[in-house]
Amino acid sequence: MPSLEPEQAKPSSQRGDRPSQSPGMLEGGPAGGEQPARPAYWRSLAELANAPEFRALAEAEFPAAEDPTGVSRRRWLQLMGASLVLAGASGCRWKKDEILPLTAQPPNRLPGQFQRFATAREMAGSAIGLWVTSVDGRPIKIEGNPKHPGSLGATDAWSQASILELYDPDRCQWIVDRTGPEAMTQTWARFAEWIRPQLAELAKAGGAGLAILSEASSSPTLLGLRERLRKRFPQAAWFDYEPISRDNECEGSRLAFGQVVRTHLALDKARVVVCLDADLLGDHPAWVRYARDFSKGRDPAAGPMNRLYVVEPCFTITGSVADHRLPLRCGEIAWFAKALHAAVCEKGDARGVGSQTKESGASPLAELEKTSPALAVAQAIAKDLKANGPNTAVVAGPRQPPEVHALVHEINAALGNVGTSVWYTADPDPDRPPHVEAMKALCERMSAGKVRMLVILGGNPVYDAPADLPFADALDKVPARIHLSLYDNETSRRCTWVLPRSHYLESWGDARAWDGTYSVVQPLIAPLYDTRTPIELLALLDGQADADPRELVRERFQQIAGADWESRWDAAVESGLLGDSAWPRTTPKLARQTPASDPGPLPDGTDGPWEVIFCSDASVYDGRFANNGWLQEMPDPMTKLTWDNALLLSPASAASLGIGHGAVVKLTLGGREALLPAFLMPGLAPRTAAVALGYGRTAAGKVGGDVESGSPVVGVNVYPLRTTQAMGFASGAALAATGATYPLATTQDHSAIDVVGMRARGRRVGDLVREFTWDEYREKSKHDPHFARHAQHLPPLESLWQEFSYEGRRWGMTIDLSKCIGCSACVVACQAENNVPVVGKDRVLRGREMHWLRVDRYYRGDAANPRAAHQVILCQQCENAPCEQVCPVAATVHTREGLNDMVYNRCVGTRYCSNNCPYKVRRFNFFNYRKDLEDPENEVRKMVLNPEVTVRSRGVMEKCTFCVQRIQAAKIDAKNRRAPIPDGAIQTACQQVCPTQAIVFGDLNHKDEQGRPSLVAQLRQADRAYEILAELNVKPRTSYLAVVRNPNPEVENLAFKPT
Amino acid sequence: MKDSHPFPPWIDRARPLVGAVLAVVPAYLIALVYYGGSPRTTDVGYEPVQPVAYSHALHAGELGIDCRYCHTNVETSAHALVPPTQTCLNCHTQIAAQSAKILPLKESVASGLPIAWVRVHDLPDYVYFDHSAHVSRGVGCVSCHGRVDRMERVRQVERLSMGWCLECHRNPEPHLRPQAFITRMDWTPGDDASLGAKIRKQNNINPSTDCSTCHR
Repeated sequence: MPSLEPEQAKPSSQRGDRPSQSPGMLEGGPAGGEQPARPAYWRSLAELANAPEFRALAEAEFPAAEDPTGVSRRRWLQLMGASLVLAGASGCRWKKDEILPLTAQPPNRLPGQFQRFATAREMAGSAIGLWVTSVDGRPIKIEGNPKHPGSLGATDAWSQASILELYDPDRCQWIVDRTGPEAMTQTWARFAEWIRPQLAELAKAGGAGLAILSEASSSPTLLGLRERLRKRFPQAAWFDYEPISRDNECEGSRLAFGQVVRTHLALDKARVVVCLDADLLGDHPAWVRYARDFSKGRDPAAGPMNRLYVVEPCFTITGSVADHRLPLRCGEIAWFAKALHAAVCEKGDARGVGSQTKESGASPLAELEKTSPALAVAQAIAKDLKANGPNTAVVAGPRQPPEVHALVHEINAALGNVGTSVWYTADPDPDRPPHVEAMKALCERMSAGKVRMLVILGGNPVYDAPADLPFADALDKVPARIHLSLYDNETSRRCTWVLPRSHYLESWGDARAWDGTYSVVQPLIAPLYDTRTPIELLALLDGQADADPRELVRERFQQIAGADWESRWDAAVESGLLGDSAWPRTTPKLARQTPASDPGPLPDGTDGPWEVIFCSDASVYDGRFANNGWLQEMPDPMTKLTWDNALLLSPASAASLGIGHGAVVKLTLGGREALLPAFLMPGLAPRTAAVALGYGRTAAGKVGGDVESGSPVVGVNVYPLRTTQAMGFASGAALAATGATYPLATTQDHSAIDVVGMRARGRRVGDLVREFTWDEYREKSKHDPHFARHAQHLPPLESLWQEFSYEGRRWGMTIDLSKCIGCSACVVACQAENNVPVVGKDRVLRGREMHWLRVDRYYRGDAANPRAAHQVILCQQCENAPCEQVCPVAATVHTREGLNDMVYNRCVGTRYCSNNCPYKVRRFNFFNYRKDLEDPENEVRKMVLNPEVTVRSRGVMEKCTFCVQRIQAAKIDAKNRRAPIPDGAIQTACQQVCPTQAIVFGDLNHKDEQGRPSLVAQLRQADRAYEILAELNVKPRTSYLAVVRNPNPEVENLAFKPT
Repeated sequence: MKDSHPFPPWIDRARPLVGAVLAVVPAYLIALVYYGGSPRTTDVGYEPVQPVAYSHALHAGELGIDCRYCHTNVETSAHALVPPTQTCLNCHTQIAAQSAKILPLKESVASGLPIAWVRVHDLPDYVYFDHSAHVSRGVGCVSCHGRVDRMERVRQVERLSMGWCLECHRNPEPHLRPQAFITRMDWTPGDDASLGAKIRKQNNINPSTDCSTCHR
């Protein structure tokens, strides 16, 4: 019986003998032939079973070679010959180039010089502070604002990719007026003229008939304007709607405290964290900050490690970094919360619950385990919580019903966490009805014909409103439908007026961080099109046409900042935030005291009804980023799926229905149906189907799908299955295989490292990720200061080549796998910094994604409940680089500082280097992925490119260079100032974005004035450091720090098998 | 079959000619490509007509205006900065204000449209040259741009090819000068043969020949 913690990292001497596990359906590999060793770490179920589809990917360097279909060899030679002649004729001198200086140079701006401004990005009512790099007046790169409490210098993938959204040619560019028989483009002046008499008419009735539907927003200016509008139109109705809301948390706090409060966590103080279906490090509005705080407790050398328990139905990245993860069905989480509550709130030690365990033997948990293993786990966790007193935190996720949240508040209160690792602030808008209720009320009003004018600020309710509300039909009954939108989306197309909305990088505004910190939204560029912000539109509704948005924000700021506001404004604009503006903490009193009661037996999930879980998506969130190629192509942190959503199923449950990976499944839920491809994923709760929202957009744009213009739809829309009663998860679904299959572009098996025989691979891959428990770490580090490196025995390594010696700088990197949560922000940051192209689903299926940096996600142990580890892989900058030795044209060469340079203009595309790269980090341009930029309508898309990095063309190999452009810029700057480069002054793009600071880059030879080595040099010599594939003697410059987990021995010993 | 010989008899007489052609033509082609395609031929001497008949010989030469008066950021940024129109009008609202040659400047300021100067020294897009790294560390303007103070119209005098760049990166000493004379076109090191080495030591100049120094 596999345990909750399937196996321990084993010393290298034992690596050969794998424990014989029997993960059910996966037994038996391919027919015939020698059975390769079952890998300890595996990336997919196909790899675990050594299925032919995995071997096909692993064995070929370039799977699915491109045949120039339709062109014969002879014709191809003719064309090539002709183009060579033409190229020769035109190549004598490149075309005339012009220099266009400004007529007057603005102060503080130099051509080609990078500048940095603070701003903030708001999503779903919470802001993250940003620093945006601008060159020649155009923003090109987004970083986190180190002073902002929501960022601390890091960002998420959405912020990184929002720069692409700014330059998206599919954005709304004109006002579209559909009031007449034909759609016409209009001007703002014309719109103002049209709306003025309408508003005057509405004002006569006190605004009855006017309704405003807004995205969730924390903008003080917007809320101020809302009040102003309420004065002018007292009868008007205001609704807030977000498809993915945290209303259950609000309702839960109402149950527990009798008032709505917002929960905040100090994860740096919490020694034990329990997440009940809460993806704290994935979809929490403050996850970037939480990830940083959490990572502070993941460094075993820095002091006692924290411990994370995750109980969840699907496999989230929070679950992947947990010390103990328990897959439970979504509906069973409430049972677990009750059990935990009972165990925590019971006086005395945790054993008291349940009649069987009374003082019967030496190990009451083991006793309990026989009857109810899940209860045993709950009690063990409760014991751990109690032992750590007030430095713990229990969190429930937004999918869970209010009752679970209320129980969690009681648990935290009982543990004494409030005020230490958990604190509360008053909700900024406590009277706001829940989003679902607001939407219901709006639909009722519209259906009854009571709404004469509906103004929709952002959002896309036609697409994402609950399926049982007739929003789209009711909308048609409103005579005047106005949508302010970034894109001409599903909702816009049903409105009479579509107003183009300004991107946040081109607008003045303000927002509040999750903790309430006032953040200034500062424009980096004048609006590219004639667009307005929501606050400008609201001012217009208030009769203030052409209001200056900056003045609107300043006006509100004056009220917030009070005396001396003007100088504080300047400081706020410069730093991006107003200091000490976080909401004051409150200590609400518990309004109830639920008695600790026996939760009863865990409902048996094996025969229970199928549950469907609706998740936010790491790429497109709720669908709003559907037209963003960077995000669509970013592999999902857990499934590594690109360009699609899928129905995630556990292998055992899928097998019971005869559903295989990639099979198209008909999902029926409450009479509504959807066809979805199945994705078999280990670690899911039984009879649970998880599916991401936000796909299947029919009016997103050229990238995300647009039915009208013929762009293919990406993924499947599951909003039509989601009803007001079941916004988070639904029970009672029916699944049936249709017999069809669907290709899923998942990168989980791409770039499988080292394919020299499956047996050898199975042994070596175990060494790529090295994992220890905290106890092992303490024991081993005492005896061997390099124990992680020595976990693999290496024979004496000798080089065939004369080795370089590095006297000056020696660039190196370390990646702490213990801190890495796999969020994939680095993947998008690298793409933004290095002009990495998007290739599309078809190319990803062929293994040709261009990401220079990938995050390999490994599973380990039993397929029913594996552990996961993430490993960021980029060019390791080998000192004995195998790629350099095979390049016939010296297009990849070594620098004196040890970088492995890639010279694009020399490369002739033999791809030998990639063949010879053991890490599989080289990417080949099979096509000219920038060809579409020559299209005049894509002129705006060029603006996103980093001018410091060459844009590569077809037939050229490319790869990570440790952001050599940043290194060179720092070197030149330091030399001009005749000053040394201090340690930490150069940050690579992936390092800068990392929420957990897992990536450290620097000069391995650096010593400061006191003779202290650089941080990266210290980490490379740390006890946890090791290099991957060191046996090849390639001497990589990138080191990894081994994963160290802090399991609870008591839970470890429990044999819990998810039912 | 009458004759087993496939070629006509006169071919024997033409043999020396064929030999000569085979010897000369490849050599000619190689020489043609080598010299014809060299930057010495294609780029040196490039002297495009500019939209304004601005004379460096007059301004930098006769009047002795320092290069940095117009190219202000040459010591601090990658680009030397082609001056904004306003810089010209600093003087030309007073001097030669009525000249027809000034007309395009006035038009530019009035319309806000830039003057479209034609780039003379044009490096390929995959080359990342930084003025500040050179000018602030002892490489004078004249080393790459030639005697601009004698040019009516700016002309490219150096090859600006990779080989040419590397000549100096491998042996920078002959091209180094004291910082005070960085823009002086007529400066010569004089008799002090060790001056270059001294400046090199003082400025800690170790030019890199790594690819990523210029190509990223």
